[in-house]
Amino acid sequence: MMKNKSFVIGIFLLGFFTLMALLAAVWTPYSYQEVIDGAALLKPSAKFFLGTDDLGRDIFSRLLVGAQFSLGIGIIVGGIAVVIGASLGVSAAFYGRRVDATLVQIMNAIQAMPSLLLALFVVAILGPGVVNTILSVTLVSIPTMFRLVRSAALVEVSKDYIVSARALGASNFRIIKSHLLPNCVTPILVQSAVCCSEAILNTAALGFLGLGIPAPYPEWGTMLSDSKNFIETSPQLMTIPGLCLLLLILSTQLISDGLRDQLDPKLRGRT
Amino acid sequence: MNSTSKIIKLIFSFLFISLMSFSIIRLIPGDPVAHIVGERGASEERVQQIRKNLGLDKSIPEQYYLFTKNAVVGDFGESIVSKQPVWNEFKVLWPATLELSLVAIIWSSIVGLILGIIAAVKRNSVWDYGAVTLSTIGFAMPLFWWALIVIFFFAVNLAILPVSGRIAVEYDIPVKTGLYLIDSLYSAVPGAFWSALKHLVLPAFVLGTVSLALIVRVTRSSFIDIQKEDYIRTARAKGLKPSQVIFKHIFKNALPQILTALGLAFGQLLTGAIMTETIFSWPGLGRWIVKSIEARDYPAVQAGIFYSMIIIVVINFVTDELIKVVNPKMKEHINA
Repeated sequence: MMKNKSFVIGIFLLGFFTLMALLAAVWTPYSYQEVIDGAALLKPSAKFFLGTDDLGRDIFSRLLVGAQFSLGIGIIVGGIAVVIGASLGVSAAFYGRRVDATLVQIMNAIQAMPSLLLALFVVAILGPGVVNTILSVTLVSIPTMFRLVRSAALVEVSKDYIVSARALGASNFRIIKSHLLPNCVTPILVQSAVCCSEAILNTAALGFLGLGIPAPYPEWGTMLSDSKNFIETSPQLMTIPGLCLLLLILSTQLISDGLRDQLDPKLRGRT
Repeated sequence: MNSTSKIIKLIFSFLFISLMSFSIIRLIPGDPVAHIVGERGASEERVQQIRKNLGLDKSIPEQYYLFTKNAVVGDFGESIVSKQPVWNEFKVLWPATLELSLVAIIWSSIVGLILGIIAAVKRNSVWDYGAVTLSTIGFAMPLFWWALIVIFFFAVNLAILPVSGRIAVEYDIPVKTGLYLIDSLYSAVPGAFWSALKHLVLPAFVLGTVSLALIVRVTRSSFIDIQKEDYIRTARAKGLKPSQVIFKHIFKNALPQILTALGLAFGQLLTGAIMTETIFSWPGLGRWIVKSIEARDYPAVQAGIFYSMIIIVVINFVTDELIKVVNPKMKEHINA
């Protein structure tokens, strides 16, 4: 595993951002919403490591707390998508017929819309906010998880060990839990990393459009959107949150690529 | 699948899309009209008028029937903000998005194909690593940040390209097609075409980078797969020139996969357009949808989502048909 270059780089980057988020939990130089008088748009200095924004808030502190938001939402959404998407996918493959057909139709319907448009659709109904952002971003990520797990489970369902488990009198629940799910772990793992990265990107995109996590929370997308008007005078407002966002998304994608290469040798080298 | 069932499938998509956009207002928790009026506040009379305009004063099945009937002819009522029929706004805005997306997809497929082919042919060379790195970063790149960087370099630092609007204000060209590149050429106003082109460069460049990553990746991997086939070895063994092998044998067989990716990329462009248009103040569909959501202008949101989904369904349909023309082998694969 450790020889896999993209996996190692991904884990390294992710570890860095996890440390950032953990650091923010115990210490930040200033509060993320503290407006410091007469300190608007300062350049980086010993007092403010990365300078201050237009309202006079410390960017370094906001960046640290922002890591909590992006990482936290990525993990929450990835987790929910795994639970809902994988259990639905496995059930669809196991029960087949009407259950399968109905679930596939529903997921197709959700997927017919591009992800950001769908997220916007949900926000249009529910309004912006932390919980609503998570809801909309989760809804977007369930269908892909469902599809992958379903197709992996379909292959397993017809295999002999499932038939023999049934012959031994195992209940449906037991077959799904102890036989089917463990054999679909590879696609679930790979896809959960993809779900994380999409969730982070979509959250930031909603934030950038002003329809995501509301002020004063320092979400990286919102920070970028605030920096738009100061590109000329303070480009550091724009470069740093964006770079963090890019690297965080890159890390989850590299991890997912690495996991796939490692766990599914058939797909190796086909990226 | 024959053409009848294909039409049935299209009708179902249409019904589903209409149901989606119909449900936006109805799913709002609480009284939707109070939500729409929001902080604006309004007289009781105005509230009743909005309720009536939205058709909320009838039973749900009746509402849906009326909504669908009107949607077929493009009538989504009038915008709450501009008080104009929504169709009139859409009519002006969608050519802008079309022009932007077309230019983006054209440049990105040309560059993407070239890069992908070079990477596959010179596998494990600097070119290959460069292309792979480029597409990996391209996939992870948040479009809005990329746009800000591009603005920083080309518009602020170098100050050579404009960053907002479609054409400089002094050019008042007659709008015929809505595609300013064509309109400005047609109007023969000196400098108008140049101005429209300059306004298009940055947004189209930014928007196209997303599809570029996808096209490079798909072209490269399908080329690599096909290069391993026996018939390619045969073609090489019988002494064909490398260029003949690449374009006559490999390219032709890679085309279906590339076209599928192109269809996918075109669908993604719409999402990308939402971001790009907002950043570059490009007066198109994406920016319209975002602004309408912000202003809680629900007739406009309904129409925006309805039309964009129709566009996506049509694009998917067209790509499927195109692939079948290009490679009849794919027919069964798609229909299955």
